[in-house]
Amino acid sequence: MMRDTLLSVENLSVDFTSYGRTRQVLRDVSFAVAAGERVALIGETGSGKSVTAKAIIGTLPRNATIRTGQILVEGRNVLDLPRAGREALKGTAFSLIMQDPLSSFNPVFRIGTHLDDVMRFADRRNGIATSRAERRSRIAAVLRRVQLADAERVMNAYPFELSGGMRQRVLIGLALLHQPKLLIADEPGTALDVTTQDEILNLINSLVSEENMALLMITHNLGVVRKVSDRVVVMHHGDIVETGPCRTILSEPAKDYTRALLDAVPALYGPRVIDMAQSDRAPIVRISNLNKIYGRRNGYHAVRDVNLTLREGEIFGLAGESGSGKTTVARMIMGLLRPTSGELMIDAPAPAKGRRLTQIVYQNPGTSLNPKRTVRQTLTLPLKSIGMQGDAREARLIELMGLVRLPQSYLAKYPHELSGGQKQRVAIARALAAEPKILILDEPTAALDVSVQKTVIELLVQLREELGLTYLMISHDLSLMRNFCSRIAVMLRGEIVEEGATPAVFAAPSHPYTRALIAAIPVVSDVEEREKPVVTEEERMRFLVKSTD
Amino acid sequence: MRHHPLTAILARLGTFLLVMVVLSLMIFTLARVVPGDPARMALGPAATPEQVQALRLQMGLDQPVVVQYLAYITKALHGDLGTSLVSQRPVTTDLAQTVPATVELVLVSVVFMFLVAIPLGVVTAHYRDRALDHGGRILSLTGVTIPSFLFAITLQLLAARVPGGWPIIGRLDHGLGWQGGPTGFLILDGLLAGRLDVVGSALQHIALPAFALSMAGIGQITRITRSSMIENQRKDHVLTLQSFGVPERVIIFRYLLKLSSIAPLTIMGLEFASLIGNAFVIEMIFAWGGFASYGLNAILQKDLNAVTAVVLVAGLFFIVANLVVDVLISIIDPRMRRKEAL
Repeated sequence: MMRDTLLSVENLSVDFTSYGRTRQVLRDVSFAVAAGERVALIGETGSGKSVTAKAIIGTLPRNATIRTGQILVEGRNVLDLPRAGREALKGTAFSLIMQDPLSSFNPVFRIGTHLDDVMRFADRRNGIATSRAERRSRIAAVLRRVQLADAERVMNAYPFELSGGMRQRVLIGLALLHQPKLLIADEPGTALDVTTQDEILNLINSLVSEENMALLMITHNLGVVRKVSDRVVVMHHGDIVETGPCRTILSEPAKDYTRALLDAVPALYGPRVIDMAQSDRAPIVRISNLNKIYGRRNGYHAVRDVNLTLREGEIFGLAGESGSGKTTVARMIMGLLRPTSGELMIDAPAPAKGRRLTQIVYQNPGTSLNPKRTVRQTLTLPLKSIGMQGDAREARLIELMGLVRLPQSYLAKYPHELSGGQKQRVAIARALAAEPKILILDEPTAALDVSVQKTVIELLVQLREELGLTYLMISHDLSLMRNFCSRIAVMLRGEIVEEGATPAVFAAPSHPYTRALIAAIPVVSDVEEREKPVVTEEERMRFLVKSTD
Repeated sequence: MRHHPLTAILARLGTFLLVMVVLSLMIFTLARVVPGDPARMALGPAATPEQVQALRLQMGLDQPVVVQYLAYITKALHGDLGTSLVSQRPVTTDLAQTVPATVELVLVSVVFMFLVAIPLGVVTAHYRDRALDHGGRILSLTGVTIPSFLFAITLQLLAARVPGGWPIIGRLDHGLGWQGGPTGFLILDGLLAGRLDVVGSALQHIALPAFALSMAGIGQITRITRSSMIENQRKDHVLTLQSFGVPERVIIFRYLLKLSSIAPLTIMGLEFASLIGNAFVIEMIFAWGGFASYGLNAILQKDLNAVTAVVLVAGLFFIVANLVVDVLISIIDPRMRRKEAL
């Protein structure tokens, strides 16, 4: 069946100029979206997928120039349109679903104000005069479409008063206000918990089919691609690598790059899954009846009666969604927080002056490294604190760089000169500098692309063997944990609801919440989809945070 | 929300009260520690030692400082700030005459600051790194670096050349026969009495000193507004509105301006301290007769009660101004309301 082409991008090339230097960010990009079709634009950081979306919408930054090509929306080249003509397309011909639900709203205006202004000016461009009350009832109707039943409350709320899932729903509602023919979604749900992301993707899917809209989904997550697209466009460094039906691309990709990308995705089930060996050595961390209450009177009970044992040499995964208390547990193990009650024992000889038994690698190396300090300065600090001087320190610096597989010359570099993966390696080297026994990994790869994630995880596995370390990994990425952790515990609202050897937990999750978490992970193959545990609607209602108000 | 918002406001007021107590203690002690006998200075060199001693006893200077302080505070709470040694009138009477003049001057210069600095900040942010922005930067720097008395004198020199004349000293034309109003604020009193000639003359008189006083603040607040606007321009929410075709002017003047007014408002609150400090100089140059010039005389004459009162009033003024700023910010930013209520 041939359908009308709704959007057609032809030979689009875009340059960015900054500090007098010109960089080509898009090279001859061509693809099309038919009416009612769902197309995914996939690529890693710097692939140009977001720039493509911005070029279509017309929100490229000032330093960008469109060198060649055209963007046809229903046969008209929008690049030739006058400014007003282009503005008129916004919200009606196509609209955008933004990625980050919190930062996409101005914090000092009510949600309703945003919605009303968007509707008012789109109406005005369409030559419709509307009253405030009339718009309010139209907005309420759209909010109900995105399953926000109490529209009045949502409109009167300030952005920070809504949950992430609710804000994401409002953003989708914002895009639906004027029944666009094409929805452009820029990584929706990426900033949310996996179960909420799953709900959001389901919502987008059902809206697209009910309203017969076309969808251009921009994402880096191949699992998401499988869930929400009919056709896939793979981008890499501003080029289109390959294009094809979703099923073909995911099962038998033609290009090496796509294949490598798929290989880097941690598998949830099937032959690609890696089982990490169990440790039978002595326990190194023992936690019993650990509690943490924030605030004095009627405080927030963040951690509730947690019992845990970490064995030496194992990789222990603490899984849970935001607010589950996993970071609080890690902070208490590090001694950064004092437990309200309970016991926490670390079975290791007391460290020498300036040394600690535990060190941490943070989620985002972009913010955890001081941008004004070179790698050498960053790494010298912990070495100084353990009293290492002169030649010994220099030798240790070189040794550390070797450990994290970075060339010595990188010691002189500043963080902005390094890629995300390289920065995370520096952060790992910093954590290792003072020879800790236990390394706490707080979502160490969440800010990285999958291919980079793969290499960082491989490095961590090797380091554990070389240095005899014990890892505690905190994450909400269960597919990564499946392949990296030897044991796993799942936290929900401050309590551990399930604990066991990773293969056992994934083979037969006993707690409904664990099942719901695993079921929500976007996977890349139908085989894995079938192996996922089944969750009943009743269980979902009981254990998942509602984002529908 | 565990506490009522009122609790937060009461807690804030409590802090301010504490600041006032500490301030009064410090200035009270300081005024009595610095060398020079206030009784001797009040009576002049011709007085006999017996007369000086009598006055000292009358003022209670022979008692320990703590006792003096407690006596002072007890009286102050009943609205009695003592008698000025120089003017021989109650300090409260002197203050009632001079404080409104200064408050009026400071408030008008705050209005100037906002009228000039906020639009200038918005414009320079919009045209950043272009000629207009560079012009604005030079203007701001000039405002901050050149001392306010230099502006004051320059303005006076320029005003003297205005055809028909422009008043360069005082608060009002004496020829108008104005007897004073209930508040002491000339502009307000003039309006209340329906005397537009008084209002006009008062505005004419206040324009130059208020402008001279506001120059430093204009420079600072322009820069803060500009950087705040630029910072917020890069946020995702601006991109959201752009993506849906909300016009640029609405994004700038409605969404960005409100969000970006928080930083300049905070600076404004702190700016009050230097405004009051600069008012001491400006009032001298323009023969303003406000409480700053009164305070300067009091300090030079070691008029203890007057000095203490002036410092306390200046402190109170600063505190009230910051309270107002806090309230304004919490009106603008709902997150602040929530935080206070926690």
